[in-house]
Amino acid sequence: MASVSMRRVDEVPDKELLARHAQGDPHAFAELVNRHRDRMWAVALRTLGDPEEAADALQDACLSAFRAAGRFRGDAAVTTWLHRIVVNACLDRIRRKSVRPATPMGDDATFDAVAPKMPDPTDAHGVSLDVQAALAALPFEQRAALVLVDMMGYSVDDAARVLEVPAGTIKSRCARGRARLAPLLGHHRNRRDPRNVRGMEGGGTS
Amino acid sequence: MTNPAHFDYDTLADLAEGLLEDDQAASVNAHLETCAECRDRSADLADVSRLLAEAPVPAMPAELASRIDSAIAAESLHSATVVSLEQRRGRRPWRILSAAAATVVVLGGGAMVGTAVLDGDNSGDSAAKMPATDPGSNAAPTQRLMGAAPPFTVAHSGTDYRPGQVGAQVRSLLGKGQELRTQGDQPSAVLRGCVDALANGRRPELVDRARYKGAPALVVALPGTKSGTLDLMVVGANCTAQDHPVLEQSTAAAH
Repeated sequence: MASVSMRRVDEVPDKELLARHAQGDPHAFAELVNRHRDRMWAVALRTLGDPEEAADALQDACLSAFRAAGRFRGDAAVTTWLHRIVVNACLDRIRRKSVRPATPMGDDATFDAVAPKMPDPTDAHGVSLDVQAALAALPFEQRAALVLVDMMGYSVDDAARVLEVPAGTIKSRCARGRARLAPLLGHHRNRRDPRNVRGMEGGGTS
Repeated sequence: MTNPAHFDYDTLADLAEGLLEDDQAASVNAHLETCAECRDRSADLADVSRLLAEAPVPAMPAELASRIDSAIAAESLHSATVVSLEQRRGRRPWRILSAAAATVVVLGGGAMVGTAVLDGDNSGDSAAKMPATDPGSNAAPTQRLMGAAPPFTVAHSGTDYRPGQVGAQVRSLLGKGQELRTQGDQPSAVLRGCVDALANGRRPELVDRARYKGAPALVVALPGTKSGTLDLMVVGANCTAQDHPVLEQSTAAAH
């Protein structure tokens, strides 16, 4: 299992790393990317669905961030700024892709590409594949909102800062997206006990 | 919604996000009190969020991580090179052309065509033969942007590299049958510093002490940021870690 990266108390803050990079420290930016790469990767992969596209988008994003670091304004969190650049790079990829007739998102080839090399019989993976497939059915804006809020755990306000739209727009996009995903993900739902229809989770029903 | 007696997912999702007007929210809530089917649908929506949250998040593949490191390193080098060239031009405009010698460095990626050619024993003991880089020394942190390049040897192919032809010339050297010409010897500490500064941790496909436009030069081929490509750099033959004037820089297909 991937370990959650632990942040040491004495670690250099993100903003300090970015400032050092802007002043010419050649190690600072690589350190910053190292620190956040798994979350940036998750956002790119979930947003684009296709690992190759996500890899290209993430590389684009890292280089954009490298060049734009001097224009970072300190009023946002660095992670917010980084994720905005990642999402924008993903959107660029989608726009470019829609111009040339490549494999459309969400077809079987995409799922094959997402699938592990070795068949993984665990249930968690099956859910993950179907989640990815269902996400691919959403418009980009809804998908990006749900990736940030439901998958990455961003607050609505933080997601609004990343995507640079009002919080109400994030709520609306999340609601539209969930409404669209609900029938698609239906077969993964736990069979609810009919006596427990208020949707209470778990609990030792006797 | 097919059954007007029930609410659809959109309405229930809006309710959950607090997007309904107060009176509409009140009437939907009143309906939920009595309708098990709509409560089911509301639970479906909560399940969507739960399933999304529980979907395992894959770690970034190691290969992509190193690819991005290389791209950042190349970008660092690019900005550093621009600065250093401008500084040089300001100070000694003709030094590059009058340099007694120049060096060509070829940095290669993905395909690793030249690895075996350059380094007969590709195993760990080639590292043992290399002069150890001093991990304790932080005297010159800026010239080692991303850490030292892996071990490499220096070829003397005798090639006279031509502007715009470096990619093709390197490709032909890295091709079959050229092993003798690319067989190399150990770099000096100064040359190693130069190549480390250019390579940013990438393993050079070729480091060739040769000629460029007739003048001695060093050609370095490094793995490109896209697989199957080479980043090619031609630098002055007296290149050092601090001072590596790039005479020509390009990206070429590895094959």
